[in-house]
Amino acid sequence: MTHQPRDLRAINSGQSVADHASRLDGLAKATGAARFGRDQIKKDMLWVRLIRCPWGRAKLDSLDRDAALATPGVVEVVVSGDDGDYHGDSIGYLVARNRRGLERGLRALNAKWTRLDCQTGILDDEQARGPMDAPSEAAAKAIDAADFSFEARYSTPVQTHSSLETHGLMIEPDGENSIVHASTQGTFVVADQIGRFLGKRRSKIVVDCEYVGGGFGSKFQIGKEGAAGGLAAKSSGEAVYSFCDREEEHLDTGNRPSLLCKVNVGHDADGTIRGARFETFGGTGVSRRGGGARVPSGRFEFGTLDARNHRDVQFNAGGPRAMRAPGCPQGAFVEELLIDEIAHRCGLDPLGLRRRLDDSDRRQRMYDVAADLIGWENRVDTGSQSGTMRTGYGIGTCDWGKGRAPAKIEVVVHPDGHLEVRTGTQDIGTGQRTAMGALVAARIGVPLANISVAIGDSRLPPGPASGGSVCTPSTAPAAMAAADLARERILAGVAEREKLDATKLTIDDGVIMEGGRKVVRWEDACRRLSEPVSVTGEFDGRASAYWGEGSSEGVQAARVEVDCETGQVFVREVIAIQSCGLPLVRKTAESQIMGGVIQGASYALFEEQVLDPATGAVLNANLESYKILGSEDCPRIIPVLWRDDQTGVRALGEPPVVPTAAAIANAVFNAIGRPVRDLPLRPDRVLAALAEPMAERVVAVAPRTTEPENRA
Amino acid sequence: MNPFAYTSPKNTSDAAALAKPNGDFALPVLKSGGMDLLDRMKEGLEQPDLIIDLTRIEDPTLDAIKPDRIGGRATLAMVAESEALRTSAPILGASAGSAATPQIRNVATVAGNLLQETRCWYWRMSQFDCLRKTGDDCPAREGDHRFHVIFQNGPCLMVHPSNLAPALLVLDGEVEVVGGDRSRIAIRDLYPDPAVDWQSTSVLSPSEIITGVRFRSAPNSAFIALKQKQSFDWPMVSGYAALELDGDVITSARTCAGAVAPRPHLLPQVDAALAGVSIDDDRRIRAACELAVDGADPLPGTVYKTTLLPVAIRRAVNAAASLSSPDQGGDA
Repeated sequence: MTHQPRDLRAINSGQSVADHASRLDGLAKATGAARFGRDQIKKDMLWVRLIRCPWGRAKLDSLDRDAALATPGVVEVVVSGDDGDYHGDSIGYLVARNRRGLERGLRALNAKWTRLDCQTGILDDEQARGPMDAPSEAAAKAIDAADFSFEARYSTPVQTHSSLETHGLMIEPDGENSIVHASTQGTFVVADQIGRFLGKRRSKIVVDCEYVGGGFGSKFQIGKEGAAGGLAAKSSGEAVYSFCDREEEHLDTGNRPSLLCKVNVGHDADGTIRGARFETFGGTGVSRRGGGARVPSGRFEFGTLDARNHRDVQFNAGGPRAMRAPGCPQGAFVEELLIDEIAHRCGLDPLGLRRRLDDSDRRQRMYDVAADLIGWENRVDTGSQSGTMRTGYGIGTCDWGKGRAPAKIEVVVHPDGHLEVRTGTQDIGTGQRTAMGALVAARIGVPLANISVAIGDSRLPPGPASGGSVCTPSTAPAAMAAADLARERILAGVAEREKLDATKLTIDDGVIMEGGRKVVRWEDACRRLSEPVSVTGEFDGRASAYWGEGSSEGVQAARVEVDCETGQVFVREVIAIQSCGLPLVRKTAESQIMGGVIQGASYALFEEQVLDPATGAVLNANLESYKILGSEDCPRIIPVLWRDDQTGVRALGEPPVVPTAAAIANAVFNAIGRPVRDLPLRPDRVLAALAEPMAERVVAVAPRTTEPENRA
Repeated sequence: MNPFAYTSPKNTSDAAALAKPNGDFALPVLKSGGMDLLDRMKEGLEQPDLIIDLTRIEDPTLDAIKPDRIGGRATLAMVAESEALRTSAPILGASAGSAATPQIRNVATVAGNLLQETRCWYWRMSQFDCLRKTGDDCPAREGDHRFHVIFQNGPCLMVHPSNLAPALLVLDGEVEVVGGDRSRIAIRDLYPDPAVDWQSTSVLSPSEIITGVRFRSAPNSAFIALKQKQSFDWPMVSGYAALELDGDVITSARTCAGAVAPRPHLLPQVDAALAGVSIDDDRRIRAACELAVDGADPLPGTVYKTTLLPVAIRRAVNAAASLSSPDQGGDA
């Protein structure tokens, strides 16, 4: 189970703008009062369901459109093709008055398919299966000049998004307008995309996504389910509900693509890496692109590199979409395990080797803290343990760019002192709503209780989609600007009335002060307003006085136990240190970090889409056999916000998911003495690794074999 | 889903009478916890025309738990928490408490657990035909069968999903039934021989209802599940052991394996090798438990289970041996 130990809260206290703020929507979400798009079920509306291919590749032989249309409740059957290129591929859709009609209509349609031969993974590709190509001349020279060299290959699985709120939208007519209740990461993206299907101008479309149940990159587009919903709304003029069911969510809403990576690396006896060639193959299903991996990441010195040898491999499965740090967790897994393998070959502490290969000052200091908190001093040499339960320690790292996008935020000050923060940008569960409210409250100097936040509505000021971890960094400068404008307006009024110098006035916890003297309460000052004051802060997506300084970097350390009789891996603890510039709300920021660790640990141990090799059918399109980490499998997570006096708000959404699987894989290697180069780290794979000889040492050293103190 | 009629009789004999296929209802089905029925109906695996809900039957013996008997409608949570069973047969609470999730255990019943359908993912998907349906082939044989059998004692490669059935088997359990011409069936006879009948869930006729299970007391009995995930997962392999001890010496043992064969798989060769062994004699216990894989014929994707099985059995034996007082739990 996860515990956020109270005694360790001190690590993060005073690090954020609002250390004690709780989620503004916590109660609404916990009680069910929050209405998500998927909750928008009305008595009179049409239901839409796509007609999908049940096999990896198949040809439609026949379907009984008349029987489907004769089914009570069925309104429309649209069939636009007869080729299915993956399980879940759609050839049309069915519209019915109610869910029962939808289900019976689909059965009456009685689609008959002829199954065709298909391909089901990267290894169906000959080049991917085959040997590595020779390195470039420069890299070959560097590798040859090194004391030692070796080749290895690594793989990662397809991870599906498994959004708790499935993909989809509900459209209802409202006079001339259409209101679209969407489960989306981009309020304004939906507004732009759905018009084509609705046959409506952008100005006649209102998108509402006040609450969104998850989105890790796959909800930037309305998808086939959204398009079908739009077409059905247009042809019927009625309210239409089109959401994926759980199975469809696994089949056809994108995924983190699989990866095969071949590495040839040359290193010296002291661990210095002289040169390397990386070949990557991305498993993109029916998509032509999107399978890239960030490997190597640039965080470590690899000497003369021959990287950028990437090819996307097509086969009969649903294609990828962006997924939380696209390409990065899989790349980090390869790169960080490779570094630990080199360290082991040379008899070095992998943390020490990282310190030498990593030139980030901030991460150098993070390494110290991570080592201290995880108890690195208890780590023994890789492969030196015997016995059934073996403990391992591992490290992973991350960094992130400084992406930004234009954003506007409106702040309205009401005569009762209440403040409204208005932003069209969506909160997909990250805490965006709370962050904006808390930032404005802190910036002005009023309690958070004075603030309400209107969010996720295309009628509100525009802002970025939730992707690339740019949403908070982009909206924060706009919110700060708006807060300052509002504050100045109120203080100017007070100064004028009280004949004071506005620049000498401050606001502290809702009281306007001059020096140490209380002038007037915020509410009383606002009472003088004849009408609400509206101000808008704007960030142009490039430069701003509010942009400040900051970067996103992270180090995670994992402690695992491996049951060497059963191959089971238990992740006991993860220290997750993360900088994100200026953190806004401690609790939601910690929650982002913990969520990243949970998702990363789940990816390391459990998650993988399984395709039937003969038919291409997805065998685990459900939350039973598509295994996701549960509460009993969750490590103790210590999130550490790393402030370093940074002033600018930076990325936090994606980076914490990057190092986790790498750190866990390294910890398993440390425990059992053999690298497991394929994710997930299933028991059968760990047992197979244990049956192999101990990982090779090329530099003789005296091993440290003290059994570790049991810290479980 | 197809339309269906629903009824909730007030007594067991009415329920049994209703469950007999007749002119009005060709496919009646009994439901108690109903944990899996809806999923099977949604997937089109079952299309009952009458659902007979057993939850309204007013008969306290259906829910009662005694040291030697559990009502068929008792929930897995009740079994897991029962003090009486912790003393008389700790293996039952341990295996019931390890199944599924707390939410499911609060609703799922003992009889339902014994009669649940396999989790084979090919069988569970309507687009696949298989030996358990109308087909001539098993798609798992050449397919992805990582969760399937290591003992190929029938053409179907499914593993039996019940946590409780192997526990009751080592306790020489029997089920009480109404609605047929017999009142008791031994657990060892409840499931058909997989070499002969690989389609039936049990030997019960459609109208026979399990009203309770009876079993011998076994204070030194334990259960070990080896799962990939510790929250909500079916075991890769599970081990069951019930020991009779004379001081530190095992005078007789009954062991059984779960998730390795189409029905609970007894291990008489292990039992024989354990007889007369001291519970402190780790070497002989290990050697005995290694015999668990005698006769195993794993599939290419289930070889790992042959490593797991002796471990699960040994850990169950050791856990059973260490239960010297009723205060100690059975699950490691």
